[in-house]
Amino acid sequence: MLDLLPVPMPWYIVGPLLGMVVAGLYATINKHFGISGAYVQIVHLAQGLPVEAWRLWLLGGTVGGAALVAILGESPQFGLGYGVLGELLPAGALAVVLFVGGLLIGFGARWAGACTSGHGLSGCATRSPGSLVAVMTFMVTAVGVTLFMHLVTGGRL
Amino acid sequence: MNRLNVVAALFGVAFGFLFAAAGLNQYDVIHSMLLLENFEPFLIMGSAMGTALPLLWILERRGFQTPIGGPLALTRWQFERKHIQGGVVFGTGWAITGACPGTISTTLGAGSLMGLVLMAGALAGIYAHDAFVQRTTHLNYQELSESFTAAD
Repeated sequence: MLDLLPVPMPWYIVGPLLGMVVAGLYATINKHFGISGAYVQIVHLAQGLPVEAWRLWLLGGTVGGAALVAILGESPQFGLGYGVLGELLPAGALAVVLFVGGLLIGFGARWAGACTSGHGLSGCATRSPGSLVAVMTFMVTAVGVTLFMHLVTGGRL
Repeated sequence: MNRLNVVAALFGVAFGFLFAAAGLNQYDVIHSMLLLENFEPFLIMGSAMGTALPLLWILERRGFQTPIGGPLALTRWQFERKHIQGGVVFGTGWAITGACPGTISTTLGAGSLMGLVLMAGALAGIYAHDAFVQRTTHLNYQELSESFTAAD
């Protein structure tokens, strides 16, 4: 919004700093960094089950950090924008596709025990065997499905 | 509000800031990565792991005492079939939406209304998974959460 922040920031700055976030969370509070675990807490909260509060604080922090970037830098996805997919689909159809895709994300992350952060970033950093398998599986699957969508949409996606 | 929550929130802010500053909360960035056209996100993931892995290895070998959480204990999961099964379902959703849980919370922070739809879907997916498992295995909540210890 204010264009004070040069975005996107390059990988060699963001990557190592993200690694320090993962290591730092362990080094201070001895916790494994993961986002989908916080989503589980929201479901538990709604069900009246016990909740790990720190995960919700972590999640709230990620929302705040991203808002900071949107304010200081830019936010092309503000409102209803959704990149190339948003240009291809009308808003109603886009919402349906994103809800169904979201269902798969939640179901799959819960099934696999973690997501791109818990298995991907942190699990690989703790040399967790199950995480390595999960990462290779969702990476290969996602690339395969994406290339398939690219084919069936005639290259529009 | 205790120290644990404050520290978690601060690391959350740092993560969300970096994630969004790299554009990883945008469909086009993730989609172009999965099309194998944009390798920047791979470099981010790789250099993040390449930084965290040796740091945690050294701390673990030294028997590091964390200030708030006691002696450092790294979470590791032995391989199970669910890592492949869940990975396939997750990877499909990731490809369709260009979003993972980290993307969803940070795209919400960026003011995306579609982020709300994604979040609703993901929460419903988690609920559906647990309801399905409880129904087929007749596990109660306690047993279910033990079978999914430290779900991240």
